[in-house]
Amino acid sequence: MALLVAACGGREGPDDRLAEIREAGVLKVAAFDSNPPFGFVDPETRRIAGLDVDYAQALADRLGVRLEVVPTNPANRIPLLTSGKVDLVLANFTITEERARQVDFSIPYFASGQQFIARKGVLTSPEQLNGLRIGVDKGTVNEINLRDKYPQATLIAYDDTPFAFTALRNGNVEAISQDGPKLIGVLAHAPNADEFEIPPFVISQDLIGVGVPKGQAALKAFVDQTLTELEASGEAQRIYDRSFGPQTRTPLARTYRIGQPAGAGASNLAPAA
Amino acid sequence: MFDGFLAPRYLAWLLEGFGVTLTLSALTSVVALGLGFILCMARLSPVRLVAAGAGLWLSAFRNTPLLVQLFFWYFGVSALLPENWTGWLNASHGDFAFGLGWPSFEFLAGFVGLTLYSAAFMAEEYRAGINGVPGGQILAGRALGLGSGVIWRRIILPQAARNALPPLAGQVMNVVKNSSLTMAIGLAELSYASRQVETETFRAFEAFGAATLLYILAVAAIEAASQVLIARDPLRRAARP
Amino acid sequence: MNFAVISDNLLYFMVGSWPNGPIGGAALTVLLSLASALASAVLGLALGIALSQSKGWPGMALRTVLGFLRAVPVLMLIFWIYFLLPVVFGLDVPGVGAVTVALALIGGAYLAHAVSAGIDSLPRGQSEAARALGLGRWDALRLVILPQALPRMAPSFVNQWVALIKDTSLAYVIGVSELSFVATQVSNRVMVYPAEIYLFVAAVYYILCMIVEVGIGRAAARYRIRPA
Repeated sequence: MALLVAACGGREGPDDRLAEIREAGVLKVAAFDSNPPFGFVDPETRRIAGLDVDYAQALADRLGVRLEVVPTNPANRIPLLTSGKVDLVLANFTITEERARQVDFSIPYFASGQQFIARKGVLTSPEQLNGLRIGVDKGTVNEINLRDKYPQATLIAYDDTPFAFTALRNGNVEAISQDGPKLIGVLAHAPNADEFEIPPFVISQDLIGVGVPKGQAALKAFVDQTLTELEASGEAQRIYDRSFGPQTRTPLARTYRIGQPAGAGASNLAPAA
Repeated sequence: MFDGFLAPRYLAWLLEGFGVTLTLSALTSVVALGLGFILCMARLSPVRLVAAGAGLWLSAFRNTPLLVQLFFWYFGVSALLPENWTGWLNASHGDFAFGLGWPSFEFLAGFVGLTLYSAAFMAEEYRAGINGVPGGQILAGRALGLGSGVIWRRIILPQAARNALPPLAGQVMNVVKNSSLTMAIGLAELSYASRQVETETFRAFEAFGAATLLYILAVAAIEAASQVLIARDPLRRAARP
Repeated sequence: MNFAVISDNLLYFMVGSWPNGPIGGAALTVLLSLASALASAVLGLALGIALSQSKGWPGMALRTVLGFLRAVPVLMLIFWIYFLLPVVFGLDVPGVGAVTVALALIGGAYLAHAVSAGIDSLPRGQSEAARALGLGRWDALRLVILPQALPRMAPSFVNQWVALIKDTSLAYVIGVSELSFVATQVSNRVMVYPAEIYLFVAAVYYILCMIVEVGIGRAAARYRIRPA
């Protein structure tokens, strides 16, 4: 046990994390492992890949260090960051005031709105939500939003979106709720996608940013600067196209660009087909 | 870290979760104690096929993780069931006794998984209890001309029950602890609630601390109850000077 | 049922991302089981001896701590070690370490009782005779008591190690890439074969547990022990 403790080492305290990362030679990032195309396990390489991982890789390259991806579900994102187990969170992390008390956020790099998947014809307007069983992910703003806006709805929280979708397919819930682009990713990989639809209404607008440990000003500045540079050089568009471009399984027009003020061209989602 | 404890709303969540834990554990224990006995009898059956089948069943449920079994009942079985079944299982069927309402699918799957898992372990404790009865007792019974049924009912089982009581109490305590795994299939029991509270309040210490305390209270209560039952044992009283 | 999903992903189930990443899957399950089995055996032996030798307040304190470890769900202990230890003590514990420590502590607590019971089950005459021959307390333990007591405790060790193999699946909850976690990733990606995947995973665990039970069972038979 003593050996284990010694091998773990300790963190000095709120020192300069950016410098620590450079010294350690590795950037630890939390990303999803079951949410294509943001973060998923590539069956060929058996490694985690996706839009968020591409951004993380760009950050690591700028720093000149190795990237280590830590798989997470929504509920574990903040604990991983606040306990120092990861340096950054790139996992469809919506910026909220509540969360900003625990962690810092970079400037947004993605925008989306909260939507639903249901069997065709089941859900046509938001008012119906109060009478439905809805699957949500534990630890997401979607859950908190629904509870606030539609308190009569029966919410079942799952560890991650695929669990919720399985429940939907099996009839355990009548609809599931997540960010629109994520839901498009789910349907793109689902075998019986034609039985489901994403109703075109949105119940909230969300901006997604990189999660940074609280108080790490240098690290946050570095992330902000890198994101801005990626947009300027066109790399951000390339990263976007790799996951949501016209050749992919989840084509989606890009309406939000890094550096845009919040609210402008907010939803990244064109009305669902 | 300790600046004020959790708001009443979050304490309520924890207590509700604790209620689900207790309900699930109580129902599971009752059914598993019964099912375990039946499985034990099957295991000891003179019919080779029945004994072998029971042996295989027990081996399968005792040597695979509860988490995997829960995933199987929740995701695997509901994928295999015909669609109208899952709709029926999920639809509300009006109130049960005490206004509890029809249990959710998560509860049903958790109950089935936890019961089958626990029953297998209880079956082994019954078996150990029965094997612990001295063989001479059975021979003496036969010598007195008693029939098999009487030997079982009056000689073996009462002593076996006495032997098995402490380990069975231990298994009931395991049921309470193992119920925490049902959070993985979405059942809103105590561990799930503590995670929910922690997610919203970011107060990990208070949330997990309160949950741990409640688990320990439940386990301690079962231990105390079993001690009372053991102390009340007439044989033990008779043996006291 | 279509089991092609198993053969398609067999490598990932068995070793995770290795060598493109850290070791995972069934291989990691085996490594976790070995590490915590060893740690819990050492801990259980040490604490069990302490338990049987101690009286008064230290004994009570030890009994209380062991009782706490046996009353708390494994899941809760994993949460404590993984999430709160870094906050309280500034120690950064990797997931694998947290699970190993948690399983070692709980396994050690159960084994401590088994070891203590095994030692106490020997006739008092043994330790008295050892002392009469002039052996010190520790020598008496080492040369006379333990060699007789350990074979009696063997079934408890086997049971505990089998429980450990199953409990490594709880590492799933903190995102350690062992077999249950990796299987769920695959199930999430393909979506339509949960029954096949979880049956396969159950079978792998079953085989691992059987290896321990039967393998050690045979070794115990050589000591001519009757299993409990």
